[in-house]
Amino acid sequence: MSTSEQAVSPLLGAPPLTREDAVRSFDRSRVHHARRHDRRWRLLWLLVGPGILAMLGENDGPSMIAYASDGAQYGLGFFVPFIPVLFAMAFVCQEMSMRIGAVTHRGYGELVLQRYGKLWGWFGAIDLTLTNVITLVAEFVAIRVGLAYFHLGAGVAVLLGLTLVLFTVSGGRYWRWERIVLGLAVFNGLFLAAAILVKPDVGAVVGSLDFSPFPGGSFNTLLLLLASTIGATVTPWMIFFQQSASADKGMTPSDLRHGRYDTAVGAVLAAIFGIGALIAGATLLSHGGAGIEGFAGAGFPGALAHVSGGATGAVFALGLIEAGAVAILTISASIAYAAGECVGASHSFNNSPRNAGVFYAVNVGVALLAAMVILIPGAPLLSIALNANVLATVLLPVSLVLMLMLANDRGLMGAYANKRSTNVIAVVIVAFVGLCGAAYGIDSFLQTIHVIGS
Amino acid sequence: MRPAELDHGPGEAQVADEHGIQADDELIMHLEPDQFVAATAEPVPRAPLGPRAKAVLWSLRIFVVLVSVMVVYTFVDRLH
Repeated sequence: MSTSEQAVSPLLGAPPLTREDAVRSFDRSRVHHARRHDRRWRLLWLLVGPGILAMLGENDGPSMIAYASDGAQYGLGFFVPFIPVLFAMAFVCQEMSMRIGAVTHRGYGELVLQRYGKLWGWFGAIDLTLTNVITLVAEFVAIRVGLAYFHLGAGVAVLLGLTLVLFTVSGGRYWRWERIVLGLAVFNGLFLAAAILVKPDVGAVVGSLDFSPFPGGSFNTLLLLLASTIGATVTPWMIFFQQSASADKGMTPSDLRHGRYDTAVGAVLAAIFGIGALIAGATLLSHGGAGIEGFAGAGFPGALAHVSGGATGAVFALGLIEAGAVAILTISASIAYAAGECVGASHSFNNSPRNAGVFYAVNVGVALLAAMVILIPGAPLLSIALNANVLATVLLPVSLVLMLMLANDRGLMGAYANKRSTNVIAVVIVAFVGLCGAAYGIDSFLQTIHVIGS
Repeated sequence: MRPAELDHGPGEAQVADEHGIQADDELIMHLEPDQFVAATAEPVPRAPLGPRAKAVLWSLRIFVVLVSVMVVYTFVDRLH
């Protein structure tokens, strides 16, 4: 820490104050004020953020296309109840992530590095960066697909994505960044609007709650379908992001209840909007799936417009732009947190770019890198978008197991470590999600080398 | 000390002044002791690992080596 950014407190024995401390303390003063005066809604407003952003950030371009694709290929059956189950599992994982951040005030990357050694810390950061850059490319592709519906090209997609990143990081405050991204994330509800516009059969939606009909197809296809959907609901970047963001926001153990509300609201909204994309996509099932061949979303808005009207196509296209944009902001932030934590540099939106150069440079740099890829003529964007989740396969089980170890580390968590009942549920979910992710990666490999058929 | 003195730009000072958060003691009382940058900059000690935790970490290492090869091969192949 440079001497220019800190000043010694006049209070005896108090730690030196930095700009980051001052800004965070100011935010905390508002929380304390709301709590002291029993202003419940105000308190909730102040403390929500990381959970909703992690959940709605995961409702990204490729995920929403995947839900719509499931609907178009298999209909509503099975997936309508399955999506909420997935987000319930995501809630359990993300609650742990939030709790570790609020109790330790440290990010996931630095805790793993310091507690379990440099090997795991650096592995996590490098793997996260690699997979997230690929995912960021997929997000720019999603924006491009959405803009293409309005006859706008890749250049506009790049300009929009990068402008958003620069605008959100420019304030030097976590609160400002969070509120802008939350404001954008609200528009994930466009997928619900698209579902309403296609005028779904409410009876069919309700009737699908019994998990039937189960999707048809070969066992291998089913495994890939389930594993990829499960593996894409809890992702490594979400764990890195929510823990670091909770710490950056200044959350403490006294905020855990509201942190759980935040995560639960995020999970419920993400499930509703995901089902919205599924219902919109399912409209194409009854029309023979016309115009959506190849997917990757390229033909989705157009196909919806053809079947259900121009308004539906436009809303779905706008939803894709929003989903890609929010994911670019949250995912690049998670990489920036991980990078700062691993090199021991300042990693907070509450610090200025001058004092947290690595954090801000990585945040903007990874977005710039991903943006440049979609401008490369002939780049295999379709393959990148479709296979981004394959790369996350390696990190997912590792991230989940290390997070579980941190949540059980009484030396760090004290009385806030996982209870036995929480542990039973968490271990089952982490094992299930981790195994599905691993199965997806292994199955994909066996298909690639033609040991098993697709 | 006021937040304005810690700040390198005018924006934060304005926000802080609007809400009357100025003095050091006020600043300090809103943060937990282990929440200060000075405290979080101190690394936490290495975790004492029991046999079960070591076994878990070794299993993860083997998993990473095996699956990394498969996943990277798959990803590169699918790009074509």
